Amino acid sequence: MLIRLKGGRVIDPAHDRDAVGDVFIDDGRIVAAPGNGRAPDETYDVSGKVVMAGAVDVHSHIAGSNVTMARLLMAELPALAAKKGAAIAPTPAAWSAFATGIRYAEMGYTTVIEPAVIPTHAIEAQRELSRIPIIDVGGLVILGNDDFTLGLLRDRAGPSEGEDYVAWTLAHSKCLGIKLINAGGSAAFKFNARTFGLDDEVPAYGVTSRAILQGLQRAVTALGVPHPIHVHCNNLGIAGNVDTAVATMEAAEGLPMHLAHIQFYGYGAEGPKGLSSAAPRLAEALKRHPNISVDIGQVLFGQTLTLSADILRQFDGRGAASPRKWEIIQGEGNGTGIVPYKYRAKNFVNAMQWSIGLEIMLLAEDLWRVLFSTDHPNGALFVRYPEIIHLLMDKDERTRLLDSVPPEARELSNLPGIAREFTLSEIAIVTRAGPARRLGLADRGHLGAGAVADVAIYTDQADKTAMFGSADLVFKDGCLVVKDGEVVDIRFGQAFQVAPGFDAAIERKLAHFYDRYYGVNPSSFGVPVTIAARPDRFQTVPCLS
Amino acid sequence: MAMYLKGERAEEASALERAAELLGQARLPVIGGLLTDIAGAEAALALARKLSGVIDHDAGEALTRSTRLMRETGACPASFGEVRNRADIVVLIGDAPLARDPGLINELFPAGEGLPRPGDNPRELVVLGGAKQRGVGDVEVTALPFEDEDLPTLVGRLAMAVAGRPVSGKAKADAKITRLAERLRGAAFPVFVYSAADLEEPVIHVVLDMVRHLCLTTRAATLTLAASGNGDGVNLCSAWTCGLPVRTRFIDGLPEHDPWLYAAARLIDSGEADALLYVDALEAEGATPPRGVPTVLLTRDHGRRAAAEIVIEVASAARDHDAELYLPRISGIGVVKAAQAGSGAPTVAATLTRIADLVPLAEAGPC
Repeated sequence: MLIRLKGGRVIDPAHDRDAVGDVFIDDGRIVAAPGNGRAPDETYDVSGKVVMAGAVDVHSHIAGSNVTMARLLMAELPALAAKKGAAIAPTPAAWSAFATGIRYAEMGYTTVIEPAVIPTHAIEAQRELSRIPIIDVGGLVILGNDDFTLGLLRDRAGPSEGEDYVAWTLAHSKCLGIKLINAGGSAAFKFNARTFGLDDEVPAYGVTSRAILQGLQRAVTALGVPHPIHVHCNNLGIAGNVDTAVATMEAAEGLPMHLAHIQFYGYGAEGPKGLSSAAPRLAEALKRHPNISVDIGQVLFGQTLTLSADILRQFDGRGAASPRKWEIIQGEGNGTGIVPYKYRAKNFVNAMQWSIGLEIMLLAEDLWRVLFSTDHPNGALFVRYPEIIHLLMDKDERTRLLDSVPPEARELSNLPGIAREFTLSEIAIVTRAGPARRLGLADRGHLGAGAVADVAIYTDQADKTAMFGSADLVFKDGCLVVKDGEVVDIRFGQAFQVAPGFDAAIERKLAHFYDRYYGVNPSSFGVPVTIAARPDRFQTVPCLS
Repeated sequence: MAMYLKGERAEEASALERAAELLGQARLPVIGGLLTDIAGAEAALALARKLSGVIDHDAGEALTRSTRLMRETGACPASFGEVRNRADIVVLIGDAPLARDPGLINELFPAGEGLPRPGDNPRELVVLGGAKQRGVGDVEVTALPFEDEDLPTLVGRLAMAVAGRPVSGKAKADAKITRLAERLRGAAFPVFVYSAADLEEPVIHVVLDMVRHLCLTTRAATLTLAASGNGDGVNLCSAWTCGLPVRTRFIDGLPEHDPWLYAAARLIDSGEADALLYVDALEAEGATPPRGVPTVLLTRDHGRRAAAEIVIEVASAARDHDAELYLPRISGIGVVKAAQAGSGAPTVAATLTRIADLVPLAEAGPC
């Protein structure tokens, strides 16, 4: 069926397009205008509206045993997080897998990546992902603090064995990429370490964080996994940790690497309170390292909950829990920490965090490598993305909020000196084209011929929070799923995986390892292809040759 | 598919229709038992929502006890594998853990070297308020039995000692408790093992407080025994499906949770519920539906034709078909392959979905 989206302002930065025109959809894909006079079967008049590709979220904790434990810890989060202007239904059901897909779709999102799949709990993660309607999904599986990785590095195993292990883990969990979280830090926590830097050694293994980082990065690169290793650096949230972020970029030695929620590493140690914005330094470091991409991890003021497999950091931060309850889950590999948190505009540190995230985006030269995120739910719930888009596009909105923060934070903020207001094309880069490209999902994030027909259409208006909070129309695979901000058709999407091959010898080694140390067979936690009980659930993204 | 109406063999279509009618016409239908796999739990939740009914599990009391404690004060659990490899002191609280999982000690203290663990303390097992157990290998086993007190008091006194407060009681027992408290404070990773079904809520609060206190100077954790009948799996599934644990009622499509109000047995005893759908379909486990209201029974035990008004014979998860279940040894949901070729009986998920399709209510809005 040929669909014509007629006369909208088409924003497609991947093709340098920002012009009024038509977009054609045929059989679930974007197609060029039919030249043979073929009449569209359906036409939507979208004149006066903005047409973009469906948005792509590179980092949002939406599924898995860690997320569900957070649901059980704090069923009331949606109610506490509800605020004027943020469309959050104040019911625990708003935390559910089902509501997640509905709300993402209403905002025009069509692809979301869950960035912390626990290898031994991958079945739950994929099961939950399969119950999220409309959006396509993918998981990043966590490695690097697990004893098998550490053992390989300690024993100086050759690179091929490490590659086999990475490939096996990807196959077993059916994930799109590898996540590395505080490399070695969670393992060191098990030996009662409470801080862990890039050159610290994991006790008993004698392996440094740097060695883990570089070992896994090289394995991922050698396997041709399209999304580079997705790194949560050491020393998250600590004043002066910009040094760690820059050192990690340098440790990448020119190979591709993605640094997650970089705002939490944008901290200098200067100023009267020992905390300053290091956003300019990060902007400069990103310029020097074209191999590095980041997502932001923007914070917004209000109630949320921090959820992280950086258990060392979460354990250390548990005293800041608000409300005062926390859960530290000491599991295989990383474990997870869940600490409710409320960011307050009147709190100096929170105000600096808010400012620094915006500064990093606004100071960036190459937005294709600076991707939009809140590290949902860590910085803010994903339902609040439109508020951030508003801040990026409207200096007055920034000034309005800046006026509410403590004067000491205002003085240290670089925001007053930044006049930049993102264009719609720039928003489309950080929320669509950039994430899709960095994930290796070539057929989305843009509106070129052949792209998947995931399209979001908005009413252009000064209130960008309203504009991006509720799409007029959303097409998923060419089907109309949202109309006037409401879901009209509930369907289920696909999950992306990569499937580099591996030598079967690694399976025997892993069977022995899990039998000896855990008394289980790895087949008990391998994701069955039938997990969603729907055909074609998994789409394999080809590896780079 | 064999089905029975009041003990008499019935046509499949009419039995399913009758089940849908019974549940659909009920003022407050309850779905209970739920000894089933994740797919069965998902189908049960969807049906409960369509019926505006209640969902509970046979182990609902223990499950809601744990989830309520966590929601109120947090938690500090460890996975089974971490305890097995890294705990230096494991304290079993009462006899219940071993009664429920006789293989526990052998699994927690396997022969041979484990993964690298913190500290150089020898590994040690303590049975608090229970019978002394035979050691495994060179693991030291001590028991602190009751004297003239009960388990809650013993737990309380240990917590006092761990917090460095004076312990009052019999001098001999005091010395043992004080020594254990010292060892716990000096441990690299002490872990308390308990069964939430067998320990009252205030006692669990004391254990959690003790763990939080130990975390001020070291790391410590709890390991809870898995609930019976895939209870943990069903509970997790409920949380990701509707945002809340079991003992939840759907009202206009929205969930409302109350561990007392929506307990299946209480609803039936009190007469608030007027229909029950009970699922008993998990290999190696079994449960009996509470009596008192018209009941639809889905059972793996193909000899119970008169056990309820409507009996539907279903497949046994993990015997007749692969099943996703909570597996205690990975502290999470895993898959168990079918033990034998299928019996031909339908799965719980398929049966509940067919019943739901026959319930003539309009679908509520998305939750």
